[in-house]
Amino acid sequence: MSSVHSDPLHPIAPTGSKPQTDHYTSQKLAITIGFAAVIITALIGIRIGTSGATLLDVLETFWSKIAGTTPTDRATLLKHNVIWELRLPRVLLAILGGAALAVAGVLFQGLLRNPLVSPYTLGIAPAAAFGASLAIVLFGATAGSAAISLVIGALLFSFLNTALVLSLASARQLHATTLILVGIALSQLFGALTACIQYFAEDEVLAAIVRWTWGSVNNSAWYQVLALFVLLALAFPYIRFRSSALNAIAFAGDDSAKSLGVAVSQVRLQTIAIAATLTAVTIAFTGIIGFVGLVAPHIARLVVGANHRFLIAFSAIIGALLLVIADAVGRLVINPGVIPVGIIDALVGAPIFLYLILTRQKAIE
Amino acid sequence: MTLQISSLEVGYGKRQVVKGANLTVEKGELIGLLGSNGSGKSTLIKTIAGINSQTKGTITWNGGTDLTKLPRKDLAKIVAYVPQSIGLSFGLDIREAVLLGRTPYFGTRPRDEDWAHVDAAMQRMGLDELGDRAVTELSGGQGQRVLIARALAQDPEILLLDEPTSALDIRYQWQTLEVARDVTRKNNVAAVIAIHDLNQAARFTDRVVFLQDGVIIAEGRPADVYSPELIKRVYGVDVELSVHKGFVQVHPLSEHGHAQLGLQSGSSGPIREHRPVTQREYATA
Repeated sequence: MSSVHSDPLHPIAPTGSKPQTDHYTSQKLAITIGFAAVIITALIGIRIGTSGATLLDVLETFWSKIAGTTPTDRATLLKHNVIWELRLPRVLLAILGGAALAVAGVLFQGLLRNPLVSPYTLGIAPAAAFGASLAIVLFGATAGSAAISLVIGALLFSFLNTALVLSLASARQLHATTLILVGIALSQLFGALTACIQYFAEDEVLAAIVRWTWGSVNNSAWYQVLALFVLLALAFPYIRFRSSALNAIAFAGDDSAKSLGVAVSQVRLQTIAIAATLTAVTIAFTGIIGFVGLVAPHIARLVVGANHRFLIAFSAIIGALLLVIADAVGRLVINPGVIPVGIIDALVGAPIFLYLILTRQKAIE
Repeated sequence: MTLQISSLEVGYGKRQVVKGANLTVEKGELIGLLGSNGSGKSTLIKTIAGINSQTKGTITWNGGTDLTKLPRKDLAKIVAYVPQSIGLSFGLDIREAVLLGRTPYFGTRPRDEDWAHVDAAMQRMGLDELGDRAVTELSGGQGQRVLIARALAQDPEILLLDEPTSALDIRYQWQTLEVARDVTRKNNVAAVIAIHDLNQAARFTDRVVFLQDGVIIAEGRPADVYSPELIKRVYGVDVELSVHKGFVQVHPLSEHGHAQLGLQSGSSGPIREHRPVTQREYATA
């Protein structure tokens, strides 16, 4: 009748101690190569832009900062300053922001078991946009999007939104559908509030709000780089530690994950809080950069497979690459003007995503 | 060496779903859990698996351990749960899907021992050649085999199957049930299977338990407990019973008093015509 129990005497027990080969060689290789690619594109990204810096200049800048020396001639000093104060934080913010959004995307997609989910599904982006708009109205548009008030406004409302979503959804044990629906409701709410502000705002304020929502790394600063770096450095080990629990929730479902010993509600609450924090902090610094958080996990899944143990790291790499490249392209196209990274990202990301949907259905489903 | 469920009560909010269930399952024994939809089969199974928590009562294993008080991870090393074949997403490959069964045993990195269990479970379920395929490419029957392999990799002492055959065609239904019984015997686990098909339950399980509105109303060997009265009471259907190759079989009757299948004309009646031996067997049983 069946070949299912082909070997009746075969016990369900270890089959002896045959040497186990490492099952994940290709994944580890992909991550190594990806990491190298990030460094290379970063170096190229730093070079791109004004003042025609060479790779050597970039390395010299690093060296002089490490060694603590200051170049004597003014031209070199200027060059070093441009690289250190403008290019480097910009590229690093793109790397860390891309990585953070991609990691958040993987976590949301896995935890909510839905490939269409992005870091913004729970309504963080509209909430942040409302916070930023409020800050612009209250403290003026002239301060520019690097202004600390704007960052605080965006952060505050992102967290408020996340707290609302999680507390409302926990009435239903944080079920995936409940979370998504509550997120949709709050998205609408904050979207309407922002629209209110825009409706009554003066042109100048309106322009500032719209500019913020495009998402860019134009106003990057070292404190932002540092903040995101610390956040990722703290979050990553925890997420990695939870990777097998994430696998169980994502691929077995809530009930089966519980029966596999996973405290589903607890893991979901903690991991969503982390993903939401990564998202909130990133967009508080950059404005709303769409698409990376949705697409990077899918691209990563095609390369290293769906196991979160590797998927998380590789998504971070893909996210970083996507944003660094998008930013570089944005600076090259209408040089010396700059197209915000959020716009390039969606322009490039949408066709890639369409291609994936239509050709690699299995990876998306 | 038994699973002992005593005065178990489970409810969602105000609604009591399982009301004072008592049940004993021996090692190496496969119990069929029968009852109409909403009778509490699933809830009972999920409570043993630690997915739901009980409001009252105890579930003990080997006379001592109260499973309801065990930490989740430790419980998962004793009890494995096989759900209905569900849509598996994101293209995990089969090996990885079976590896999920080792979740309670390893932290971040699976050890050699974990892979050995995965290999053995896959071999047992005839999945070894499919290892690198994505789960999304599998048929329903293969998908169910993956879920059972996952449970085997969990190395359980108690195996719970929640209507594992409902989404399968007849070939895979039989295959799944054969495997369930096989595993029960060879691994000497205490197994409980929720199942809709009375005939399959009679064929594959050692004992059946009838649940109605969360209460166990009958229990015993299928041949002993199956009766037209009981089945009418539980399912609201009139049936005739026969014995086929030593197994009691249930035949629903139409309103005209005939078994619904096999309504050919003939003086000997539909059942005897199709199964000439059975009536006599039933009479002597």
